[in-house]
Amino acid sequence: METGAQDGSSGYSTMDDYESLISTTDAELLKRAWQNEKAAPQILRFEAALIQRSREQIKLMEETVGEFTRNGIDPLTVSLYQMDLDRTVFLLRSYLRTRLQKIEKYVFHIQKTAELWNRLSRQEKRFAERCIEDMEKHLDQSVLSKLPSSYKSHLKQSSSSEEDDMVPEPRLDTYVICRSKRFLGAFQLDDRQFPVNIEADDLYALPYKSIKPLVETGQIDLV
Amino acid sequence: MYGKKGSELVKELASSEPGQLSAFNNDLFAQVIDECTGHLHHLGSLIRKIEELKKIEEIKKLNNQELEESEKQLLKAHNSGALIHHLSLLRNKRCLMAYVYNRAETIRSLGWAVERVLPEEIEEKLSGSEKEYFKNHAASLQSYMSELDLDLAVDMVPPKDPYIKVRVLEDIGNVLLSDQSANLARHAILFLRRTDAEQYISQAIFTLMLW
Repeated sequence: METGAQDGSSGYSTMDDYESLISTTDAELLKRAWQNEKAAPQILRFEAALIQRSREQIKLMEETVGEFTRNGIDPLTVSLYQMDLDRTVFLLRSYLRTRLQKIEKYVFHIQKTAELWNRLSRQEKRFAERCIEDMEKHLDQSVLSKLPSSYKSHLKQSSSSEEDDMVPEPRLDTYVICRSKRFLGAFQLDDRQFPVNIEADDLYALPYKSIKPLVETGQIDLV
Repeated sequence: MYGKKGSELVKELASSEPGQLSAFNNDLFAQVIDECTGHLHHLGSLIRKIEELKKIEEIKKLNNQELEESEKQLLKAHNSGALIHHLSLLRNKRCLMAYVYNRAETIRSLGWAVERVLPEEIEEKLSGSEKEYFKNHAASLQSYMSELDLDLAVDMVPPKDPYIKVRVLEDIGNVLLSDQSANLARHAILFLRRTDAEQYISQAIFTLMLW
């Protein structure tokens, strides 16, 4: 995945090998997925395989730590393992939590956008369905049931609106900080005259909307 | 003035601190809903009048006649009147929805912070439906977590050290923790696994000590 290693940096090939090895470990991948999810205003694709692997790894690490404690291995070693374990678990929890919070917030929007809906995991879909149910019930009890019949929808302002005009949506034009691991060349932003040169390892603040495809294909990371 | 009360409702929301709930404003809320019903009433009668005038217009058209100037004026007036009531209704609806929806958002964020039971002083600020919403939503979260077999309500801040120092605030007695059993007596200072301690911290049984 590190094709950038070829252009102009051949002198550091051992360094690059090491870095590319590190950057493909699950721990690093999980960290990237978590960072991207945290920074993106929109929900991203659920990293099903990665999460599955991470959970298995966590289980394995828990067993190892348990074994170490039983066998009376040096407490310092054990606590280092424990720390590593805690960090991985935190990343996993925070990743899932961030996603749930986005689902909570934009559930109606996600529901009616097939592309977003398909990014959820099976369990998240079920959670989203329950969220919708709860929210609809609450809105209905508090407000909508008391309004005249043509104003009862929670998606439209009234029955004369042609499309859903009352659904909160994430703001995709917010600026995000992003970094690419390799040179992406001149990149044309939507609303600007000049293309932006995206260099490897430089930080850019760009509107999320314009780099969305790059984030989704994993070419660029959010920070 | 139409829509004034609705905007007061939203202003109340905007002036409260983020993440804080004030008591559900039942009075004002009911008044805005009443206003909506009033608008509907006016709207209905205006629409009936418009329809009557339109009928007259059609009949006159058949006889090759036009509406008289005063009738035309009246039709125009009724049309704009109906529009105003319709728009006021929409605005009120938006205000009401914004009020309920934003409060629900705060309530949800509380769900992450305090788990399943709301403290009394918060609970009394909620409306009946809001209490129910909190309960339902907490149950939804819970069922997601149990499906995944992972508690997401702990580990809210990145871990620095696997152990933390806490002070016990309430007498609980002996509790079995993951690596030891501890006597949770009041004012005891313990050095525990962070994962064990966190659930007690969120229930305000422990307080975190910084050294």
